[in-house]
Amino acid sequence: MSLPLVKYVLTAAVRDKLILSLTLVMLVGSSLAIFLGGSAIIEKDQFSVVFAAASLRIISVFGLVLFVVFFVRRSFESKDIEFLLSRPVSRLNIIFSYAFAFAILSFVIGIAVGGAIYSVSPHLFGYGHVIWIVTIMVESVIMVNVALFFSMYISSASSASMATLGVYVLGRLMGQLLGISDSTLVDSSGIYAMALQLVSFITPRLDLLGQTSWLIYGYDGSYGLIEAIIQGVFFSALILLATSLDFVRRQF
Amino acid sequence: MIHNNIKVERIISIALVITLFLNILFWFHVRYMQASWDNVPPPPDKKFAAVYGLGDTSFSYRLNGVMLQNMGDVGGRTTSLKDYDYNRLTKWFFLQDSLDPLSNYVPYLATFYFGAVQEPEKFRPVLEYLKEVGMRPYGEKWRWLVYAIQMAKNNMGDKDKALELAYILSSINYDDTPAWVEQMPAFVLTDKGKKKEAYALMLEILKTSADKMHPNEVNAMKYYICQKILEAEEAKINQLCEGIF
Repeated sequence: MSLPLVKYVLTAAVRDKLILSLTLVMLVGSSLAIFLGGSAIIEKDQFSVVFAAASLRIISVFGLVLFVVFFVRRSFESKDIEFLLSRPVSRLNIIFSYAFAFAILSFVIGIAVGGAIYSVSPHLFGYGHVIWIVTIMVESVIMVNVALFFSMYISSASSASMATLGVYVLGRLMGQLLGISDSTLVDSSGIYAMALQLVSFITPRLDLLGQTSWLIYGYDGSYGLIEAIIQGVFFSALILLATSLDFVRRQF
Repeated sequence: MIHNNIKVERIISIALVITLFLNILFWFHVRYMQASWDNVPPPPDKKFAAVYGLGDTSFSYRLNGVMLQNMGDVGGRTTSLKDYDYNRLTKWFFLQDSLDPLSNYVPYLATFYFGAVQEPEKFRPVLEYLKEVGMRPYGEKWRWLVYAIQMAKNNMGDKDKALELAYILSSINYDDTPAWVEQMPAFVLTDKGKKKEAYALMLEILKTSADKMHPNEVNAMKYYICQKILEAEEAKINQLCEGIF
């Protein structure tokens, strides 16, 4: 891993006003959540915190994914990648430096989201919040790695963004889809159910991360930090290796 | 070339004015139109319910909750509660219960908002929902069963249903309830005119639980027995009604 490269990516994030714009959007999102929560007849705080958590989670992932995709595509189009390859930096070094820098950004955004959730309902703060924030960071790390993969592999920025967000939606819904395929509603040995099982092998279970019920009722022990981190490490390793393989094989 | 450009510019300008005029005409046509509301929509299956919140059950619960609270009353439209489809509403309540069984938001909405329906008989399907929620021994859920009893007894005039629910209420070992929760069947029996049964029940509670109750609650029970269950003549000769309570 190359520290100057990491700094280069972080500088690009600051230059692109990623942190500033996401902070502003988070402020607006939190305010809107408080406004919407205030319209409920009871449990206003619970409504506000759930709306804020759900919206900020999506906003942060979308912001990070768009930044990663457009940053990588711009690096290709402005020949930055080719310039880097002409230097004594290995291809793997580039991939892992980028991934590390994006992970740092994910942690920073995760802390900002946690702060926003805390400010919406400080009296509800507890261990559940801590677990929620950490698992949201894991989710962001997974998604920036997915974005890195698609932006390296697909030459169109919009297609790469759509593909990444498709994985995100699939990851968020995978628990539901598997639940449906396990239920009596469908034949679990049918071709579609089997295809779903196959897809689920390589889809992160994002529905298990950042459960908003933890913010209201506390952590229920159903899915812990260890599992979240294991999932983050395993899936990130898989997707980064796939990215590396594609990049190493590529002819410039 | 320049002449041609001026000609094209004129054509575009005329087309622009025409399209603006068409838009204004269309505005007159739709100005007072509102999307029609086809009553309470059918709820989705429990298996798909969390999809609304991208797999987040709590978010789905809150989104659906706000939808239920404002349904029929958006865009300047107001709908009378008696015009709601209470069978479908109840299905929504059960769906919401599967998403978040701990929250009191939907039970509250069901009782204190939808319970104000002008035709109380429409509320009957909701009684089953309140019974289901009210049977849970935690989080003061017994309150929803008490409301169901009140609704059945006072609003719907169905004292048999109220008694059935009252027996269920008194049979559950809740975490923390006031003593009158156990006495609920006696209240309904008194209301039904079955005063002998009510008296027997209250006496039994006094015999078995008086030592665990606060003296004020014992006095309140005595008062109820002597003033509401027993006739004045009966109270005069009953030892229980002697002294001050």
